Amino acid sequence: MSENNNSLSTQKLLVGIFSILLLIILIIVAAVEMKQTRKPELVVDVSGVNKKCVDCHIQKGVAVKAIDSWKQSKHAQQNISCIDCHTAKKGDFDAFYCPESDFLVARHPTPNDCAECHEQQVREFSESKHAHQFWLIKNADRAVFENPISTRNGCEQCHNIGNLWPDGSVGECDACHAKHTFSKAVARQPETCGECHIGPDHPQIEMYLESKHGNIFRSQEKKLDLNYSSKDNKPIPIDVPVCTTCHMDGNETQPMTHNVSARLGWESQAAWSFRTVWLDEKLGNWEMKRSRMESVCKSCHAPDFIETYFLTADLVNLQYNEIRRVFVDWNKKLNKKGLTHTLIGKDGKPYSDPTLVGWDEVPEYKMYYAWHHEGRRFRMGAEMMAADYTQWHGIWEIQDDLVTMLTWAAEHGDKEAKKWVESIDPIKFAPYALYDIPGNAWGINAKSNTLPYVYKTYPDYWERIKSNVKAAYDNNLLSEKQWLAWLKRFENKEHYLGTKYNVDSTFKIYTDRDDLDTKAFKKQAVEFKLPGNPFWIW
Amino acid sequence: MNEKMKEWFMKRVPFNQEKASKVMSKIFLEEPIPKHMKNWYYALGATPLILFGFMVVTGILLTFYYIPSPNKAYNSVRYITEEVSMGYWIRGIHRWASNLMVIAIILHMVRVFFTRGYRKPRELNWIVGILMFAVTLTLCFTGYSMVYNQLSYWAATVGTNMIKEIPIVGTTILDFLRGGQEVSSNTLTRFFNLHIGFLPTLLFILIIIHIVFIRMHGVSKLEGKEDDEETYSFYPEHFYHTIIVALFLITFISALTIVLPPGLGEPANPNITPAHIKPEWYFFAVYSILKFVPLKIGVFLILALVIAATFWPFIDDMLRKKWPKIKIHYLVGSLTIILFLFFTVYEILVH
Repeated sequence: MSENNNSLSTQKLLVGIFSILLLIILIIVAAVEMKQTRKPELVVDVSGVNKKCVDCHIQKGVAVKAIDSWKQSKHAQQNISCIDCHTAKKGDFDAFYCPESDFLVARHPTPNDCAECHEQQVREFSESKHAHQFWLIKNADRAVFENPISTRNGCEQCHNIGNLWPDGSVGECDACHAKHTFSKAVARQPETCGECHIGPDHPQIEMYLESKHGNIFRSQEKKLDLNYSSKDNKPIPIDVPVCTTCHMDGNETQPMTHNVSARLGWESQAAWSFRTVWLDEKLGNWEMKRSRMESVCKSCHAPDFIETYFLTADLVNLQYNEIRRVFVDWNKKLNKKGLTHTLIGKDGKPYSDPTLVGWDEVPEYKMYYAWHHEGRRFRMGAEMMAADYTQWHGIWEIQDDLVTMLTWAAEHGDKEAKKWVESIDPIKFAPYALYDIPGNAWGINAKSNTLPYVYKTYPDYWERIKSNVKAAYDNNLLSEKQWLAWLKRFENKEHYLGTKYNVDSTFKIYTDRDDLDTKAFKKQAVEFKLPGNPFWIW
Repeated sequence: MNEKMKEWFMKRVPFNQEKASKVMSKIFLEEPIPKHMKNWYYALGATPLILFGFMVVTGILLTFYYIPSPNKAYNSVRYITEEVSMGYWIRGIHRWASNLMVIAIILHMVRVFFTRGYRKPRELNWIVGILMFAVTLTLCFTGYSMVYNQLSYWAATVGTNMIKEIPIVGTTILDFLRGGQEVSSNTLTRFFNLHIGFLPTLLFILIIIHIVFIRMHGVSKLEGKEDDEETYSFYPEHFYHTIIVALFLITFISALTIVLPPGLGEPANPNITPAHIKPEWYFFAVYSILKFVPLKIGVFLILALVIAATFWPFIDDMLRKKWPKIKIHYLVGSLTIILFLFFTVYEILVH
């Protein structure tokens, strides 16, 4: 009986101990695991040399957040750790010993380091205009105007994307793939491109956000996962394009590329618009590059829309050149007449180029603005569905520059300019040849084309335009397909211009309304006189 | 009026009320419970059943919104968690109840094991119990896959991969379960079907069999006290014990849900393998073993363990006949629990 009782006590003790032990430990385990389900970041193995880097950095509080960022990266998931990218050999330009350690590490992982794994991406990048150091080649050193210290954190910060490193590699991958997550989603975020493509000279981010693309992106942003792989010719997985969708990502028709120049048909940033010849031997001519872009557009848009849209944007680029010609001719003339002056360096050689940069005299910097600021906005806005940048921040300001330049010339004694200023002919604002297209890509407006002065005043208007467009085609600035598309519109221009349709009865509703508006503002504002006299009497 | 209604009803459902009441009373209310069951240690056999009840109710509510399709599953769970009124609570109860059910079954098994409740003539009920445990774990596994986040997707991939190692039929079973080579929309539909249909029904049938066995044999008495242990009626004391346990559990689970609500994780992406794939914690011990030995050997080892556990009452009997003085079940039970806890905690610590 006593043995039985002993046995029962042991039994009870075992059941009790193990039950409590299991209950406590397993509930804690379940709780820890449940907490893990709320953690978005993955736990990463940190071991070996890497562990020493991480431990020391955490201990000394140096760039700790960089470690946290790295832990969220795909690199961390694949065991690509500190030393894999920051590897260095003695004598490397950026090699240094980590303080209080014997670790020789590289301060600046360069594209050569990235190419160890991402050879294709680095190669494509180095073949793109992102890598091209055009500003060192084309222009005079602007640091006389924008002193060196200003350029350090100014120009250089953005143009660093095409940094030429002492090891011969070109580029700065983390300009887009922000370190140390190197996230695809961050690289695809439009604001990443917008870090540099912003401001008066090339506000692509603002243009994008103004466009329908940007608007839809903003409204769907929370639902979009930009962290997708764009390899293997898969369909675009998002319903609205971000910058990379059109310029870099792949779709069913083409692979992803890090060469942002592979799909561009124009050099619209240049002083004169010209059809790109960048790496033609590898990428094909401008028509091939344009066709790549169109293949992306076709993921969402109808071919007819794309064709008309791009044709119109191309004619804007060509139109810009004709306006540019006026600025250049006038600056040359004023320079030759001694009204403006070329800068001369200490070596006695011309420093500035009157057709590109002058900076100190009104006609020179108005020409500069008409290219570098408003001229780019005019062209790029037309290419990126940014109406306001084509219009008010574009052509309006270019024309303003033109008027200012000619007024300055008139004030400084130029007879031709004086004649222009004093002219009362409205057509004086078009001292250049014109391009045009009957109608637009959006639809038919049955009334708007009854308005333009040039349509009503010049019976040969469309014949003149046709000869200009034909000349552009003959000069390989437009493709045959574009020329035929233009001709189709030309031959049916009454349809595309909407002039063959009678919508007077509908339009009358609005003219009647407008009469009421006119009466109202006349009564409420124009004819409204206050009884108290002004304090300054004219 | 009441009498009339009763009469109307009895005419349409003519069962012997008196007899039925007697049977009910005998097999349910007056069931003799051994006195040692008054101790809470021994009175938790109904806990898994209560938790199963919670899960059936919350599970039905979850199916109102859950969509078993790869494109929509994750978002429907997110919708339940973030937008449906009280959805996070329903989901939390379901998830936590499943965790506690596994713990409750383990505790119940510990009690049965150390008291040798499985001894003659209750061997078959032990086997039914093992089957129920297996079905519960399968329910947990399929349920975990429903969320369709990165961890659950990859846990489903790796978990089902093991099936391939079963000789001869492994690949066929794997294809049948996954509905193809990879975990895909077919797998999700199949797992959903298993999770809400076949497995709960099977578990329900096994629970009935388990209880019928208990009623047929009576609740096992303590070893050595079979003849002289006092008993008391199931109703009211033990019944109220169970009600108190149920009330405690709903409060406890609600508290756990509030403090530690289940998260959503990242949506499943078959193209990106996460750095660390891990199953739910109750598989940690098994998962740990699989990491130390080749997969094939690991799978065989696990199968051997399952077979040993299933037929333990017979194995124990044979061992006792050979070494009557040694309490082998104490040794085996203690060692199993310690190893299980060691590997489970080890997995938590290494992650």
